[in-house]
Amino acid sequence: MTNIIREDGAYHSFCGLTCVGWLYQKIQDSFFLILGTHTCAHLLQNTLGVMIFAKPRFAVALIEEEDLSKQAPELESLIDEILNDHKPSVIFLLSSCTPEVMKVEFQGLADSLTRPELPVLFVPASGLDYTFSQAEDSVLQALIPFCPEATEDDPQEVVFLGSVNDVIAGDFQLEAEKLGIPIAGFLPANRFDQLPRIGPNTVIAPLQPYLAKVAKRLKRQRGATVLSSLFPFGPDGTRRFWEDLAYEFGMQIDLSEREARAWHNISEHVDLLRDKKAFFTADNLMELPLARFLQSAGTEIIECSSTYINKRFHKAELEALEGVHIVEQPNFDRQLQDIANKQPDIVISTLATTNPLVGQGVVAKWSTEFAFMPIHGWTGVGTLANMFTKSIRRHAKLDPLDDDVWRVGIMPASIPVIRE
Amino acid sequence: MKLAYWMYEGTAHHGVGRIANSLQKVHAVFHAPQGDDYVNPIFTMLERTPAFPQMTTSVVSGQDLAMGTVRLPETLRQIEAKLQPDLFIICASCSTILLQENLQVMAESAQTEAEVLVFDANPYIMQEIVAADKLFSLLIKRFAKKTPLTDMPSVNIIGPASLGFHVRPDMIALRRIMQTLGVTINATVPLGATLDDLRNLPAAWVNIAPFRELGHHAAHYLEDTFETPTLYDAPIGVQPTLKWLKTLVAMLNEVAIKLGKEAIDLPHLTKFSLDGQSAPSGVPWFARTADMESFSSKPAFVFGDATHTVGLVKFLADELAMPIAGAGTYLKHEADWMREELADYLADDSEFLVTDQFQDVAKRIEDLMPALVCGTQMERHSCRKLDVPCMVIAPPTHIENHLLGYTPMLGFDGADYIADKVYTTATLGLEKHLIDMFGDAGLDYDKSTSSEHEQQTIHHDPVTIDSTITWATDAEKVLGKVPFFVRGRVRKNTEKFANQHGHQTITADVLQAAREALGG
Repeated sequence: MTNIIREDGAYHSFCGLTCVGWLYQKIQDSFFLILGTHTCAHLLQNTLGVMIFAKPRFAVALIEEEDLSKQAPELESLIDEILNDHKPSVIFLLSSCTPEVMKVEFQGLADSLTRPELPVLFVPASGLDYTFSQAEDSVLQALIPFCPEATEDDPQEVVFLGSVNDVIAGDFQLEAEKLGIPIAGFLPANRFDQLPRIGPNTVIAPLQPYLAKVAKRLKRQRGATVLSSLFPFGPDGTRRFWEDLAYEFGMQIDLSEREARAWHNISEHVDLLRDKKAFFTADNLMELPLARFLQSAGTEIIECSSTYINKRFHKAELEALEGVHIVEQPNFDRQLQDIANKQPDIVISTLATTNPLVGQGVVAKWSTEFAFMPIHGWTGVGTLANMFTKSIRRHAKLDPLDDDVWRVGIMPASIPVIRE
Repeated sequence: MKLAYWMYEGTAHHGVGRIANSLQKVHAVFHAPQGDDYVNPIFTMLERTPAFPQMTTSVVSGQDLAMGTVRLPETLRQIEAKLQPDLFIICASCSTILLQENLQVMAESAQTEAEVLVFDANPYIMQEIVAADKLFSLLIKRFAKKTPLTDMPSVNIIGPASLGFHVRPDMIALRRIMQTLGVTINATVPLGATLDDLRNLPAAWVNIAPFRELGHHAAHYLEDTFETPTLYDAPIGVQPTLKWLKTLVAMLNEVAIKLGKEAIDLPHLTKFSLDGQSAPSGVPWFARTADMESFSSKPAFVFGDATHTVGLVKFLADELAMPIAGAGTYLKHEADWMREELADYLADDSEFLVTDQFQDVAKRIEDLMPALVCGTQMERHSCRKLDVPCMVIAPPTHIENHLLGYTPMLGFDGADYIADKVYTTATLGLEKHLIDMFGDAGLDYDKSTSSEHEQQTIHHDPVTIDSTITWATDAEKVLGKVPFFVRGRVRKNTEKFANQHGHQTITADVLQAAREALGG
């Protein structure tokens, strides 16, 4: 059993609200209403670079001073406004830190706002309990009651779990068809009224590693089988994913040639990744499969930290990473010391910490980028490999930053005072 | 309750972060949930800081609340062990402030060597700008000590801070001016200052506090307590800069007389130019040249913070002879001062808009359809939709306001920069006449300023390069899902791949094989 070290969680990352950034685009007839404060709005407009072109399909119901003393938030008129402006099929009501502290009873609030033609679904997402990509799990759980119930008599079908863009979804659909695996659909689908049927003969195939709870609930509530395999990242993960999925459908297939071809296609990248040292500081909950891919490419994983690890949901990944230094809820200061001591060739780090790490002479890359890039499946292999090698190549190409003079005056808090 | 889509101002604790990230050996600690750490990347990404910003979120989790765990003292001890700051600034966030905990007691229990300042940045009462200004005043009051004046004429520059609008080029502009005057800068606060700099502020002969938003309260305190004369104006535009220079010299000379020192003279104005031998600014002549004639019939709308909005309205009207269609601000607490300043520039009060709702500003612009908008990043977006030329003159900042080049707003150099920006933003004189008369001759004029969404609709796929190869419907369908801006490239590469592998028809399978082989 892989040993997981647990630290104090003093890391840098975002709260669960950030998942709105991609989910509102994925579920096209949705609206995401955050009950929160100025802070939530400032977070969304800054961290995701979400500049507003038109009225986006998300907004913050703003808790202001006078609302603090009220019994319950009055959202009815806001629902009218949203319905009028956006005509969504579903509204997701997201919790945030302040109403959590105020002990707002969200489930009851969502139920009371629900109208016959417009469900309002409670999504726990507060930064007190949820990090970065994690609240997608909450959104998908909220959608379960709206997935039609498949029965014992329905055929065995796969439901791909996790939001991916249309191109990736198309690839998975095509691949499944080729293998003769019947598809019920994707959760989430592009539209609220296109949710797949799920029942005892459904096989849930998770595409994203941050969806442990919804998978567990689908198993418990609908009797679905949850595929336990590697996540479909990299040639190794994609092969295992499809072989294990086919096995659920009674087929034993051998994709070794396919995997070899995929490795061959990225051989230039693999040459660069082999014998390098990589370090994951924890952010997007995709760290385990990404580290596993790098390890398969011959990279030594100095540390793979993640904000949350689920021993059951991540079982296959943890097994593949046997012997690697794995940390849950890491302490960033301790990581900084280890990075200084162990000199990794690449550090996968958060938006907050990447530039300062580069300032210390480390090759560092934004973890957030992995959450927004088409790195799944066979067609994602090239993109995935390139994500890592691009950083290494770029930094190798640039002139060495060997004189402090090039950074003078950039850090406001340490502008050197030149006294004559 | 109202729906918020976008905010002009950041949160109170972001304001605290701006002060902390400006000062040396000062560390802000936010007693807050993990999510409030989002202010950190605003600094590392916009300012591209090569070191870690001096702020830490001492995480409060749901579990901590349930178990009664308080991590603050341990966080302080950890930071002290690593960084040995001279001062901790501690504040709560929008959620933790509701817990009504005694942060002072919690912080003191850590028994740090560093001083501790618990700042009550109540996010329900104040936002970024007021919080930053209040904290800055507190720091000045706490640290500034009576000090003998410097031997030579000197000034403090009060107000520039981390993430300030064009703050780096503005400081270059002010330093250049001081060098030309032969005046020493005693301290620049808070940007880059140490606590010793705060202590030594009263040593300066004169304080310069050009920003309404940050530093005026602190400067008033210094003036009241240490009798340091203060110049509160912002030198935006050529004539205001001239007046500002003369006032500054007069203020310095008053001190010189008191101290029995030699008075300073305003150097010849060419000395203020970049090469020391040219006109200090090109604006006065530029404004008189023939092609600037058309600007006298281009109405402008200006919206932003107090300092830049007032400065820009006056500059456009007084120095470029442009009509002012209206002005406004999102800073409600500055509205009265701005009204007074702009009374001569606006026909009546209805032309002055005070709102923090960007939709109201967009609506006003749509009603006015001015020839030029000077606004924030938000107005830039609104104007894209309306196809109105817009330049950004005020915070909130955006990565595009943190450029490498010399782009000051203050002084003679600033006047040149702003005038250039006005000139290149608005549709030009003769060119515009031609377009009005004859249309854009199908040149897709101004397409570059349309938003990404609009570009999608005007994009046409390039035609197939190889006519011997056909695309099956299923492959076309897949191709249609590829983002438009790479679709052409994928199409060409796939056809090349099909050629090499002897496929006459590109099916979805072939397309997938090609994408796999070619790496996405």
